[in-house]
Amino acid sequence: MARQARNMMKYVFRRILLMVPILLSVLIFTWIISHMMAINPYLNRLAGVLDRQVLEKELRRVGWYDPWYVKLGIYLKNFFSGDWGESFIILPGEKVINLIAEIFPKTIELMLFSIIIVPIIAIKLGVISAKNKNKPKDTLIRGMAILGAGFPVFYIASLVQIFVGLSLGDFTFDGIDIPVVYANNPSLTMPVPPGGAGTGFRLIDSILYNDQIYLWDTLMHLILPVFCMIFVSLSGVTRQTRSSMLDVLDQDYVRTARAKGVKEKDVINRHALRNAILPTSHLIIGGTAAALLGSLFVEVTFNYTGMGYYLLMAIYGGDYLVINGFLVFSTIIIISGTLIADVAYTIIDPRIIY
Amino acid sequence: MTQIQLEKLESDEYSSSKKGKIGRLLKFYLIPGWRNPDFSATEYEIGKLKSKRRLFRRLLTPLTIAGMMMILFIAILGVYACWLTQYPLELLCRPYTPPGGDPFAAPSPEHPLGTTRYAYDILGRLIWGARTALTAAALPVIISTAGGLVVGSISAYFGGTVDSIIMRFCDFWFAFPLLILIIIISPMVGQDLYNLLILFGVFYIPASTRWIRALVLQVRQNVYVRAAVTGGAEKFKVMFKHILPNAMSPVIVGFFGSMAGAILGFASIAFLGLGDETFADWGTDIMYGRAQFTAYWALFWPGLFIAIAAVGFMLIGDGLRDALDPRLHI
Repeated sequence: MARQARNMMKYVFRRILLMVPILLSVLIFTWIISHMMAINPYLNRLAGVLDRQVLEKELRRVGWYDPWYVKLGIYLKNFFSGDWGESFIILPGEKVINLIAEIFPKTIELMLFSIIIVPIIAIKLGVISAKNKNKPKDTLIRGMAILGAGFPVFYIASLVQIFVGLSLGDFTFDGIDIPVVYANNPSLTMPVPPGGAGTGFRLIDSILYNDQIYLWDTLMHLILPVFCMIFVSLSGVTRQTRSSMLDVLDQDYVRTARAKGVKEKDVINRHALRNAILPTSHLIIGGTAAALLGSLFVEVTFNYTGMGYYLLMAIYGGDYLVINGFLVFSTIIIISGTLIADVAYTIIDPRIIY
Repeated sequence: MTQIQLEKLESDEYSSSKKGKIGRLLKFYLIPGWRNPDFSATEYEIGKLKSKRRLFRRLLTPLTIAGMMMILFIAILGVYACWLTQYPLELLCRPYTPPGGDPFAAPSPEHPLGTTRYAYDILGRLIWGARTALTAAALPVIISTAGGLVVGSISAYFGGTVDSIIMRFCDFWFAFPLLILIIIISPMVGQDLYNLLILFGVFYIPASTRWIRALVLQVRQNVYVRAAVTGGAEKFKVMFKHILPNAMSPVIVGFFGSMAGAILGFASIAFLGLGDETFADWGTDIMYGRAQFTAYWALFWPGLFIAIAAVGFMLIGDGLRDALDPRLHI
């Protein structure tokens, strides 16, 4: 076992070393993209200046006319020394790193529920569906899974927004009111007093500082987006679990276990499921990419100001430093998720040796 | 045996008697329905071996038939669009706004499903949008599958340095969330439909490369490939004539699954406003419909049709996968 642990550490180390060139390539790629955007950010600041000489002198001072390698070098140097730039269109003057640190917890809160709830329910549903193949239970679960996968996520989100958010409030005269459009009630403020210790997560902060109205408000704003994300993630994992379980249940060792007299419950949970869980685990753990993308559409539909929402506003406005920062951040998350998923492969199936 | 000796042996079988040859030839051309007896006997035997009847029987399960019906419905809407609705395409898309129109009106006799944002007729946009949806399904998938087949086969077959370089590039590409990349780049290539679809297709080539490479690596283990190489076939012929036809069935299954994904992906881009507004597209309809929530019919129907198209392709893909599965010994 010691040799396998050493091999594993060497593998992880090699993968982390491999992350560095990928990260550099990602940085250069985003730099190229942002320079293809043909936006001159200094025209915002120098808007009223009509004299060409003054304009040109100012642009030369800030380095607009430098050759591309100088610009790239300055960009990389700034990036690795922590200066990711400032936003100039969506929130003028706000540093990109501060923006990410403020906004990313909101997206994590959205994804958190789906990451916790979806594996538990979806694997159970997939196993049930594979056990009763082509019977009514299977058709029902497969039907729901295909609904979740076939309907676009923003369509489900819009329908839920109209029929549960608006109409429910109308029909019950605000008795049951699930707010849909603003991310939080605009009159509420964060429960963390200025200068106090806070985590940045709204749920945790409101529990820490015992602010019940804020907690209730945040939960009410989270219900509908979380429901949409769970519905869509469930379908993917259920279909994958069902298809792997169908493959495994045809194998000979399952037949042997049944012939030996093992209880059906144990055949499924202890013998079959462990061999079937591998692709599903990759889907769940490495599915951080899908969660990011799915949360973009859900956030835009519900006006929930998470990372996807701000990324989209930056794209609409052309705020290329924010786009760069968010894109590199998402890339880091995706690469780390894939690495964790690959390492988890060996934990789940000890026969896999890299 | 060399190639020449084999061919002679084959031709000897069918023209074993030289004197009957011209007679048989004349009879074949002049008598309709006449077949050479020993030739058709051999063909009959070969036909029984290559029978596709069991394949069709496994294919026609209820769910797959439902999928085919859905796609047939969408295809009929697309093909017969001019006759199914009274509004031509120009009156339903962006540069034209119906003067004196009533946006978000309730269903009425001249607008059977109501109107959307700029007083366009919903039913007309649904019917004309079928063409855009089918194009958005077909074009990116054809580009990405073709590119993946070529690059994946080359990478898997040659191995070594070429394989490493292509795989590193695919790893780098997978680090990006693709949809976000498309959203960022699409304002730069313009908002034309075909530019967007070609962009989609090209951006999905690394994904299909990786998958086809795994397939080709599996098929390459077989003995007939080694036999072909030993027989003296050159590299590209082995790749495209021996390996690829045997790897085709998962590729066909993946083709249909990718079509569903392409429809949903293009609808997502159009929903964010970056689609082509000079075509009637279902994703843009959902974007229009969100302008007024009390008129929920404006976004209900386009989304339903997107779902019908995507689910239809998915069901056909699943049905094909179950039918072509070599492990079910039916």
